[in-house]
Amino acid sequence: MTDLRHAAETAPSMPTAPARGAPRSHHARSQRLIAGTLYGYFALTLVAPLVVIVLWAFYDPAVGWFPPRILPASLSTSAWREVMADRNILPSAILSLVVASVVTTLTATLAFPTAWAMARFSFRARRAVEVFVLAPMIVPGIVVAVSLGEIFFVTGLAGTVAGVVLVQVVGTLPLMIRILAATLEGIPEELVLAARTLGAPYRTAVIRIALPLAWPGFAAGGLLSFIGSFEEFEKSFMVGAPAVQPLAVRLWSYLGGDILVLPTAAVVTLILLVPMIVVFILTERITREDVMAAGLGKL
Amino acid sequence: MTAPTSAHLVARGLTKDFGTTRALHQIDFEARPGRFVCLLGPSGCGKTTLLRLIAGIAEPTAGEIALNGRRIDAVPPERRNFGMVFQTYALFPHMSVRRNVGFGLDMRRIERAEARRRVDAALALVGLGHLAERLPRQLSGGQQQRVALARAIVIEPDLLLFDEPLSNLDARLRDDLREDLRALQRKLGITSVYVTHDQAEAMAMADEIVVMRNGRIVERGAPADLYRHPATRFTADFLGLTNVLRLPVRGGTAPLPWGGTRPVPGAPDGEAAVAIRPEDLPLAAADDGPATIETAVFLGAAIHYTFRCAGASYRAIAPGGLRAVLAPGTKVRPEAPAALHRLADDAPAPAAPAPEAADVL
Amino acid sequence: MFSETRPPFWLLALLLFPGVGYLLATFGLPLVRVVWGSFRSAGSLRSGTVSTFTLDNWARVLGDPVFLDGLMFSLWLGIAPTVASLIVALPLAALLQANETGQRAARTLYRLPLVVPGIIAGFMILVIFDRGGMASRLATPLGLSLPRLVRDDWGLGAIMASMWKTIPFMTLIISGAMAAISTDILAAARTLGASRATVLWRIQIPLAQPGITAAVLLSFIGSLGSFVIPSLLGPAYPLPLSVHMFEEGFQRGNWNLVYAMGTMLSVMSIAVLFAYYALIGSFTRRATRGRGD
Repeated sequence: MTDLRHAAETAPSMPTAPARGAPRSHHARSQRLIAGTLYGYFALTLVAPLVVIVLWAFYDPAVGWFPPRILPASLSTSAWREVMADRNILPSAILSLVVASVVTTLTATLAFPTAWAMARFSFRARRAVEVFVLAPMIVPGIVVAVSLGEIFFVTGLAGTVAGVVLVQVVGTLPLMIRILAATLEGIPEELVLAARTLGAPYRTAVIRIALPLAWPGFAAGGLLSFIGSFEEFEKSFMVGAPAVQPLAVRLWSYLGGDILVLPTAAVVTLILLVPMIVVFILTERITREDVMAAGLGKL
Repeated sequence: MTAPTSAHLVARGLTKDFGTTRALHQIDFEARPGRFVCLLGPSGCGKTTLLRLIAGIAEPTAGEIALNGRRIDAVPPERRNFGMVFQTYALFPHMSVRRNVGFGLDMRRIERAEARRRVDAALALVGLGHLAERLPRQLSGGQQQRVALARAIVIEPDLLLFDEPLSNLDARLRDDLREDLRALQRKLGITSVYVTHDQAEAMAMADEIVVMRNGRIVERGAPADLYRHPATRFTADFLGLTNVLRLPVRGGTAPLPWGGTRPVPGAPDGEAAVAIRPEDLPLAAADDGPATIETAVFLGAAIHYTFRCAGASYRAIAPGGLRAVLAPGTKVRPEAPAALHRLADDAPAPAAPAPEAADVL
Repeated sequence: MFSETRPPFWLLALLLFPGVGYLLATFGLPLVRVVWGSFRSAGSLRSGTVSTFTLDNWARVLGDPVFLDGLMFSLWLGIAPTVASLIVALPLAALLQANETGQRAARTLYRLPLVVPGIIAGFMILVIFDRGGMASRLATPLGLSLPRLVRDDWGLGAIMASMWKTIPFMTLIISGAMAAISTDILAAARTLGASRATVLWRIQIPLAQPGITAAVLLSFIGSLGSFVIPSLLGPAYPLPLSVHMFEEGFQRGNWNLVYAMGTMLSVMSIAVLFAYYALIGSFTRRATRGRGD
């Protein structure tokens, strides 16, 4: 008859525990090491610069903040007032957001049909198309911007928002196509077939079944496009300056070497921190690592 | 290969929490030297969690593990010298079979010629010497699992840990590999802990079965003992089909629904839950029989019947082959075993619907 | 995976047209113009000279020490931050694989630099590492004196700013590639005796390989063509080709010369791509060699 109770009484006694204070298992030890490394990394690369920037944002021009002082002698909000009064910063920020949105939408619209064709069909030129779509990611963006800038100059698109949008899409489109193609490849063939047996014409099946299932791809690619457009400099500068100045280009004019404008840049950075935090919280929620790896992870 | 020294594993008070969920409650577990112990239970019972704690790839919330009397809590998995075989085989896809099997020897800095000898020996033991240069993706599932086995034994581990290794294989392959695996373990004499949800597998392979449910150990014992004399209804249900009858016991005997009485050893007066295996209920066709066949299914080697008696349904299993199948509606007289086995714990398996006297797996 | 059916040609063309057509017009055509223009002299409608075939631009790009030094410096500014970032990104990506709660927060935090414009990264390095910056102010009381890190000959400031953005980018891609590796494989390696470092080197890196390659290449190309960070933080000489391109183009209007430089950069990118693939082949062979041979 088997004994229901645990074998506690018959088990041999346990040897004594390790010394007090030592981590009770290798896991705890390595966990602490890992956590320490990560937090150290973040402290060094994120917290420390942030602290310095905050200090610079409250720079007092009356007193100055010169070496060897580690902390400023006095603080002032003059830089903030200056930035608020600056008529150019807010429009630039809004322009950047608008351009990024338009770029993302346009990119997604252009990318989807091509990605669909690449993912769902096999055709002879497929590899060639793959390589061609990859090419803008290989050739430095500045090269294309230079030539495109000249074309736009001749056609009157230079110095316009449309021009900036068009040139930025060149940079975001390849990535979006690749991410979407990878996502669409993962949608089982049977689903579209099932829809068609139930009476849906091909187009409807694509729009009502495949498109929603491709959502992670759109999210990941869209976010990367948005971020890419928002922080892009070289192409926008080549095509847009001086009439159209998204935020990155505007900031460039503040940092042309004059040290006294550091406080302004510091303030703008801190103001930008809010949308940045929003965006990267979104990236954590919406994007999936496997989707991004699929689009970015193979060349 | 030299026979490794057999290891004695003892775990005490093992508890594992995942956030607010407790996966293991104060588990006391022992694997004696050379024994093949199966952890058996439904999914979610904690058997895989327990295995991972033993392997060191998960950390216990509380409790202790000792090998041959020495605590191994503080020892990282790479130094525990346990061989582990996974359900998904977990072969390194970028390495050939030879390099896969030799990986553990590589980590132990075994000298090249010696390592090669041992890899060849291990591959010969599992019958795959001719596939040494292949990549995992060029092998079938069964072959991959044999490679995984070779990889685990070539390091001469103190303990072998198996995490449902045969679940991904199809039925015929599973049976073959099951026999080979057990034969190999017997030959090498390595203490083994084997996780499975398949009761037939556990019955066929184990020296000792540990039945688990909801993070606790329900019972443990040799397969035949557990089958014939389960203490709990859960075990009875899990290890094959069973009939559970609630009978009034008076003076150590109880009346059967179809007439006659039988002794119930160890039962006090009052109601007792009694388990009768369907194969222990031979049915004889009788015109005045108290029971009537409800359903009959011919399965080849066996015939599965359900019959009704006194308003309840029961299961019976009769040998098949050339024997005639009793048609539904036939009156029969069931014959019960000489003594009835009383269940100490009547609690039914958790997700089971409210049972009648006859139960299904 | 995808359908075996050959679609009708018109459908294929229709589907491919938006994406491929757009890129042909906005990338293919300009690129051809760039290569073509590098072999032409500047024509001018005003002075009536006609653009002719010439190798002068190339002679200057390949012969003029200013541009040669610029090319070398461009390569340096492409390779150095990529290599240094890879060394940090590989263990970082591995550390972020586990799902413990602390690591989940870390997985969000490390991406922060991705949304920060490069210019601000440059600004940060400037503020901290320039002469009189925070780093030197902290070092002086300790009796240390920091080397010159901004506008220095090696472009260290520019490299650091580039790394600040490149590390998260690489970690993102590599982390995705590592996440695809079954945890059973990692557990198997550990039970066979591999430490975490060995698992990273022998298992995770080889199995994450297409992702690592992609990360390295994309980072290199990004840094190669970067303009704003080197012009902000780099030395006065040599200037990377990207900065030369701006100056020759916007200040002096020598667009054909700019095209030659652009073509040069493109050729460099493709050459490094091939070299990397060759390198990766031998690396993977070495990493999987074991003593069982």
